[in-house]
Amino acid sequence: MADVDAARRELEAVLGPGAVLADALALRLYARDASMVEGGCALVALPTTTEQVQVCVRIAAAHGLPIVPRGSGTGLAGGATPMGDSLVVVTARMTRVVEVRPEDRLAWVEPGVPNLDLANHLRPGGFTFAPDPSSQQTSSIGGNVSTNAGGPHCLAYGVTSAHVLALDVVMPDGSLEQFGAEGPEAPGYDLRGVVVGSEGTLGIVTRVCVRIVPIPPAVRTMLFGFDTVEACAATVTSIIARGVVPAAVEMMDQGIVRAVERFAHAGYPVEAAAVLLVEVDGTEAGVAAETREVEAAAAENEVSSVLVAADDAERALLWKGRKSAFGAIAQIAPHYHLHDCVVPRTKLVEVMRGVYAIAERHGLVVTNVFHAGDGNLHPLFSFDRSVPGTLERVLRASDEVVRLCVDAGGALSGEHGIGLEKRDFMPLVFSATDLDAQACVRGSFDPDGRMNPQKVLPDGARCGEFALAAAGSGDAAADAADLPESSWI
Amino acid sequence: MDLIHPRTLADVAEALGEASSHGRRVLAVGGRRHIDKGNPSEVDAELWTTQLDQVVAYDPAEMLVVVQAGMRCGTLAELLAEHKQEWPADAPPDATVGGVIASASSSPRRLRVGALRDTVVEMELVTGDGRIVHSGARTVKNVTGYDLHRLATGSLGTLGVITQVALKVRPLPERTLTLTTPGDLSLASTIAAEVPLVAGALAAPDAVEVRLEGWADEVDELAVLVSRLAPDAEPRDDGAPFPVEPWWTWPEEGTIVEAALAPSKLGPTLAGIDRYSALAAVGLAWVAASTEAELAAIRSRVEAAGGIAPAIRGPGGLGAATPAGTEVHRRLRTSFDPAGILAPGRAWTNA
Repeated sequence: MADVDAARRELEAVLGPGAVLADALALRLYARDASMVEGGCALVALPTTTEQVQVCVRIAAAHGLPIVPRGSGTGLAGGATPMGDSLVVVTARMTRVVEVRPEDRLAWVEPGVPNLDLANHLRPGGFTFAPDPSSQQTSSIGGNVSTNAGGPHCLAYGVTSAHVLALDVVMPDGSLEQFGAEGPEAPGYDLRGVVVGSEGTLGIVTRVCVRIVPIPPAVRTMLFGFDTVEACAATVTSIIARGVVPAAVEMMDQGIVRAVERFAHAGYPVEAAAVLLVEVDGTEAGVAAETREVEAAAAENEVSSVLVAADDAERALLWKGRKSAFGAIAQIAPHYHLHDCVVPRTKLVEVMRGVYAIAERHGLVVTNVFHAGDGNLHPLFSFDRSVPGTLERVLRASDEVVRLCVDAGGALSGEHGIGLEKRDFMPLVFSATDLDAQACVRGSFDPDGRMNPQKVLPDGARCGEFALAAAGSGDAAADAADLPESSWI
Repeated sequence: MDLIHPRTLADVAEALGEASSHGRRVLAVGGRRHIDKGNPSEVDAELWTTQLDQVVAYDPAEMLVVVQAGMRCGTLAELLAEHKQEWPADAPPDATVGGVIASASSSPRRLRVGALRDTVVEMELVTGDGRIVHSGARTVKNVTGYDLHRLATGSLGTLGVITQVALKVRPLPERTLTLTTPGDLSLASTIAAEVPLVAGALAAPDAVEVRLEGWADEVDELAVLVSRLAPDAEPRDDGAPFPVEPWWTWPEEGTIVEAALAPSKLGPTLAGIDRYSALAAVGLAWVAASTEAELAAIRSRVEAAGGIAPAIRGPGGLGAATPAGTEVHRRLRTSFDPAGILAPGRAWTNA
């Protein structure tokens, strides 16, 4: 059994009393992330240096406490939701931009730096950090790394993995490793690549070397309204068929557009069945050419309204509409459950129709806002959980949405991750052999199962070699198996 | 040396399963273009992937293509070009897709097209003991479990034999243009910094090649910017390859290394070397070494600058740089190749 009090005293001695939380309120606050799952924890540590993170990991190991790394807590899949007697290690106080080196197109940053703060920090020098999740005002670089975060501009620029050169990682045994390199290739297997997106199960990232990209000289943002969802989705296909990969292609259905427009007053066409927000960037001539092609693609699909941002202020307003979508839908109902799945781009309409049908069957309100260019859907169920039976209906509908996306040839998550929420869906897309191989990867980093137990892989995924090697070698693994189930809030 | 030449995935699984039970050491081979990359390794058999060369799925609207790993890059390029798309490997036409991925080869247009490893979104891999493992998905974006395909990319065939991959492809640019000018790495660096969206600025000791691509008007606009920085820049014929002389066309002697280091360290590291092609703002350089002493000198400079300098053609292996996470590497090897038959000693760790 874990000795929580002893662990607390030792942590306080190193981190200082203000950096270790154990009161009931704090434990409740850190018992969940932005998902709908609530767990519980024994202690919360707020280290400010890599060395302190190492101490946290060693103390947790000594006292048999599983470790749950946490950034800003904006994750939507329960990846940072702790379970039982665990130590939550929060990197939110590690907020330094250590150095920016334009000549090497990189910056070293600590994991607690909010995504948008980094972009703002880089902008005066003419650079940016390309991943821009909708949570970017709050979500941290460490969290972005751990979920391989996306965002609207990942269509042209790629997801977080393409923008991380190297990582300092505190390993589950407390040692420190640097994976990746400041140069384009590093020796050995791509451990950097597998840590990105691993949802805090392989170690704790304490410094990130990000790739910075020059801000292109020209940009144009356009908003197209369509009378049918089909025409809107067909435009995405037409754009790609014309050889254009826009910086962003975002689709919103009528429900979202109406909620957004009441909130943001961005001039979105509320009569349209769906709108497409398209941004192209590059050189002046490149942007002119791509604008021409995008407009032609919209025209051949009977676009009903066209709005082109004339200046930066108008562009910001169009994006305000998109980026405030999740806030704006609070007008519909007090709670929402946001989905994240990816399907082949050509199946978007079929899947959207399926999502509407599921919502209708369960008597739920659903709106859709998504990264259409990536085939990344975000159906959003709005509900009031104080109404008895509603949450159960939402969960049943969500289950059906996941299966619908998988049947369409999709993946379980495009950018939010698996966490707790989708862990038990993993066998829908992977065989037992695949999952055992994944367990081997995890076990190669964390043979004793100390890091973020019960996340990502379903029960039963085992690495044969390591299940044997790890048996009897750590309390954390054994304790983890006894943890209480989480509850849906 | 025995030859295993499978026709199907099941053949691969069976062959590796048998090899594992008999302790026969196997080297996976594609088009042999990147086979020199890796430390010396003694094996009992070669497993050729070249009969696994089929297109599995291709829908241009998805910008994804699924192919077997033994497909030649040239064949794939022709198929994609029919739909005005490309997989930006820029490898020799007879290299295989699997070989390019297993060696983590890089495109000289990396500044514009990104790292090749980021184009691999799904993989089918046969482990050393013959288990068939899948990872990723046929979608452009995906955070679903651990990305085994990232580990296998660049693993030099030591974690498994890659049998099939789904690749992100991109539209072929409307126009491409290579400009050449007298100059050096500092000019190339200036061009890479000042000319937006340049696809590549490649410096030899006394000449610079600049690659532009995109919409026709865009290429014209960029060419003007290049000529302001390099008044002597001359456009080559449209359709000229980039680089005009890629490393695999260099004279067959000595060793060619592919150095990778922080871009600002290229200049000081390459000073005084006779034959190299260095990608400004990327940090990759192909460097020729005629003798072992030259190779050792280049390596010590690159490694002192925090980089790596593996040989990609000719003798020399991977060099002295050692990867972080020794234990993780060892455990991965044990998990994916429990009998240790996949080209023992070939990978970075000598695992």
